[in-house]
Amino acid sequence: MRLLLVEDELEIQSFLRRSLEEAGFEVDVAGDGRTAELVAIENDPDILIVDLGLPDQDGIALIHRLRQLGVSSPVLILSARRSVDDRVRGLEQGGDDYLTKPFALAELLARLRNLLRRKPVAGNEATHLQILDLELDLLRREATRSGQNLLLTPQEFILLEYLCRNAGRVVTRSMILDQVWGMRIQPDTNVVDVHIYRLRGKVDGPGQSPLIRTLRGVGYVLKDR
Amino acid sequence: MSSKTGNPSIRSAAWRISLWATLAFALGTMVVFNFLHRFVAVDLQRRSDAWLSGEVEVLGEVAERTPNDALYGQIVSEVAKLAGKELPDKAFSDRSADGSVFFLQTGTDGSPRLWVGAGGGERVLQAIRAGKILSGQPADLAVAGVAVPFRVVSLPVADGSSIYLGLSERDELRVMGKLRLRFFLLWLLINLLGFAIVFLTTRQMLNHVLKISEAASGIGLSDLATRVPTSRRNDEVAHLALTLNHMLERIERSMHQLHTITGSLAHDLRSPLTAIRGQLERSLSAVSADEQAEPIVSAIEELDRLTEFLNTSLDVAEAKADALRLTPSEIDLDELMVAMIDLYEPSMAEKGLHIRLRSRGPLRITADVGLVHRMLANLFDNELKHLPAACTVTIELKGQDQAALLMLSDDGPGFDPEVFPYLFERRVKGKGSHGHGLGLAFVEAVVRAHSGSVSAGNREGGGAMISVSFPVAFQPHAGLKESV
Repeated sequence: MRLLLVEDELEIQSFLRRSLEEAGFEVDVAGDGRTAELVAIENDPDILIVDLGLPDQDGIALIHRLRQLGVSSPVLILSARRSVDDRVRGLEQGGDDYLTKPFALAELLARLRNLLRRKPVAGNEATHLQILDLELDLLRREATRSGQNLLLTPQEFILLEYLCRNAGRVVTRSMILDQVWGMRIQPDTNVVDVHIYRLRGKVDGPGQSPLIRTLRGVGYVLKDR
Repeated sequence: MSSKTGNPSIRSAAWRISLWATLAFALGTMVVFNFLHRFVAVDLQRRSDAWLSGEVEVLGEVAERTPNDALYGQIVSEVAKLAGKELPDKAFSDRSADGSVFFLQTGTDGSPRLWVGAGGGERVLQAIRAGKILSGQPADLAVAGVAVPFRVVSLPVADGSSIYLGLSERDELRVMGKLRLRFFLLWLLINLLGFAIVFLTTRQMLNHVLKISEAASGIGLSDLATRVPTSRRNDEVAHLALTLNHMLERIERSMHQLHTITGSLAHDLRSPLTAIRGQLERSLSAVSADEQAEPIVSAIEELDRLTEFLNTSLDVAEAKADALRLTPSEIDLDELMVAMIDLYEPSMAEKGLHIRLRSRGPLRITADVGLVHRMLANLFDNELKHLPAACTVTIELKGQDQAALLMLSDDGPGFDPEVFPYLFERRVKGKGSHGHGLGLAFVEAVVRAHSGSVSAGNREGGGAMISVSFPVAFQPHAGLKESV
């Protein structure tokens, strides 16, 4: 996967580059809009990360220019603003995504994967999800572990489904809030943890190897190995 | 607002102004007329007095020279009748009614010797006897049975008798009456005309003022690009409009500056925060032992709290300055509240708290989804953090007129009376609170930005209550577009 990172802050540039490379991306870096245009045309990246505050031009303008130049790959917008302006919203509807600084690396990676997954039309989705001995019937909304029905509430099922779809990858609390409850909030209480704790109580029965792992300060991961 | 239909308040103001102006004008003209009236009356009387004095002297001479014989009466009465035909102000005199002039001669004993005039003259004689007429000095004489008084002058004759010449004041009064009537009509006309002119001009001017105030009241929140209407006339109202527009320009500029400052502040702080958080996360993935991870994890958590604090402070600051950027869409509060309760219920149950929702079905408002989510999360977090176990939180939703009411109450200890007056201020928090003290300030900021209202208090039976009211049809103005 080839990724173009357009970011002028050197600190952010360097840690992002290393983290992205560790995650398996082939990373090109551009510090300003002009370089970004040249690199994008030359390397034809699969995905782009564009910071809105570039030294030579507005990030949104750059994205529109790249689109005109025939670069159709999805873009993850990094914004230093917490309020999302209409232009970003427009891009979001066009298939791109945005993330406000500061962000969790796990969330950045998850959003990148989502963007890449969106690219081929995700049409005939599976009706079943299976992670190790955990099985989810997406039509009947039932989950079983080792053949035993877990008796989940509808909300718990949605949460578990989200974890399964991201099995093996870290999901953060704000990702869970965004994707499962549809809210971009940062509660300063442990609301998400309690949900996970309850879910874990049902999924990881006594004697079974725990599937849901907590990565403190980062988020959660559903083990797939 | 069309100027034809007029606005009640404008009309009343225009009415008031024109009424007072007309009243002042009417009183002024009345005083002037009173002065003129007196002047004319005095002048008329002077002229009739001059006539009387002249005629009585002629008559006195005739009476003296004419021998006192049978012809005396005839001669004197002829002269008296002739004199009556040379009345002053003939133009106004009405000849048809006789009796405007009388002549009376009395003997030394006061008995009547000669009478020329209408009727027998006894009443005149009685009036003269009753009154005191000094010789040569014209005086008013009211005669019983005659409506109009006479102006009478007397003259002693050498033979000891006295002659009296009287002139009815009828003509004089008629002149004055006509003058009064004409003046009154003219006065009425001028005042009506003045009233109409003042009313129309005032209304026109006030209409302009009203348009300015309507435009000005529409400006606010984030809409500062609009200007009040100006007129081509170079009067005070036009000047006011221009001044307002200048002021708006200055406000818009400083508001823009505020946006730029908060924007760059946010940017300048966020970049290092991002870098720090990234580095911490990377080092976290490099360590395996939990003991080593612990300080890194708590550093990340502190960093996230700092970020949240930064976000909320900027939001509160911008909302206080009416500069919060909103992206409104339709929200069903009922549905949202169910989702919120679903999210918070497990944590509340863990703490031994109960939560109840009283709602009568869908309650739609137009608002910024992200801000409303964060506002509700703030309210729920507050309850979760401050309520002791076994308490119940009740949320009530209802539509009232054009507003959606959200009432959140609990049966806990209520608000600390010490912080009570400052609940919605920034940096205020109760004893033992670990929050950043922005919770309710943020709630108020969001509600304000949506033209709603919020109040908080302690319930009578104990426990806190927060009541939030959102207008159902909130229509924000087009916000300021600023470059990133």
